[in-house]
Amino acid sequence: MAFADIPRSVLGQEYDRLSYPEVTAEELIHYARKLGVTDPIYLDEEAARRGPNHGLVAFPTYVVKLRGGKMMPPEVVKEMSRGGFDAGKDIEFHAPIRPGDTLTARSTIFDIYEKTGRTGSMWFVVFRTTIENQRGELVANVDSRIMQRGRSGEEPNR
Amino acid sequence: MSDHRREADPFASLEAGDEFAVRSIMLDKAFVRDYACAIDMNFGRFTDDEAARAEGLPGQITPGNMTLALLGRCLLEWVPGASLKRLGTTFRGLALTGTSVQVNGTVTERSEDGRSIECDVWMEGPEGDRWVIGTATLVRA
Repeated sequence: MAFADIPRSVLGQEYDRLSYPEVTAEELIHYARKLGVTDPIYLDEEAARRGPNHGLVAFPTYVVKLRGGKMMPPEVVKEMSRGGFDAGKDIEFHAPIRPGDTLTARSTIFDIYEKTGRTGSMWFVVFRTTIENQRGELVANVDSRIMQRGRSGEEPNR
Repeated sequence: MSDHRREADPFASLEAGDEFAVRSIMLDKAFVRDYACAIDMNFGRFTDDEAARAEGLPGQITPGNMTLALLGRCLLEWVPGASLKRLGTTFRGLALTGTSVQVNGTVTERSEDGRSIECDVWMEGPEGDRWVIGTATLVRA
């Protein structure tokens, strides 16, 4: 079984939704520290108040922590028997995350496609996690690409 | 090019073709382990050499999410006060821990109104291999 066998009917279907506890200043600062960020606007509430965001906000890549509760839907899990690699991520950042926000992550399969390179066919599944805050504002779209080597002569399962 | 100070307009002097000052980052094992735990990815391959080897890896590796975040960190160090609007990465190789990597970046485009720039950004391993490549959009905060 392989990614090429995933039915296209799964595209766009929400397979997971997770609401997180209220964001705290401490966890935003903890994240920035562990990444080695030194800019005080991400580490110190007083400095953040004087900064461009007029208050503490998450360092943008904090959103990688918000991966939802279920990594992938069952239709994809069963096709992972041939393995898969984390090929990359694309993130669009929108509203900043502030202490007191309550965030919800919704997960869908955004795309399934094939690419042919020097080493042959590769199949990609793109998982999209859409993160919104308590006001319904879009915080980020996080697209994660998982890649699998294809078999020769594979046709997508439409 | 030297880093741009927050007091100055970070975009004022940036033009397509500008190269940012190369950043060296040590992927220290404890640094990677602590970050992996901070994003709830405390899986053996990211926290422990032995557990990683048991999975067939050469040793503890850096999560892709961390290499991406380090590229984001460098971009905002290069242009302090900017906002990161978009960051896209491709993971091309295993980012092994215990190694020093170099993060490079260039400006590829400046918007006509001067409010945003497009960048290429990449992380090289000790042999110069590009372990992570990416593109980003930075906007005025």
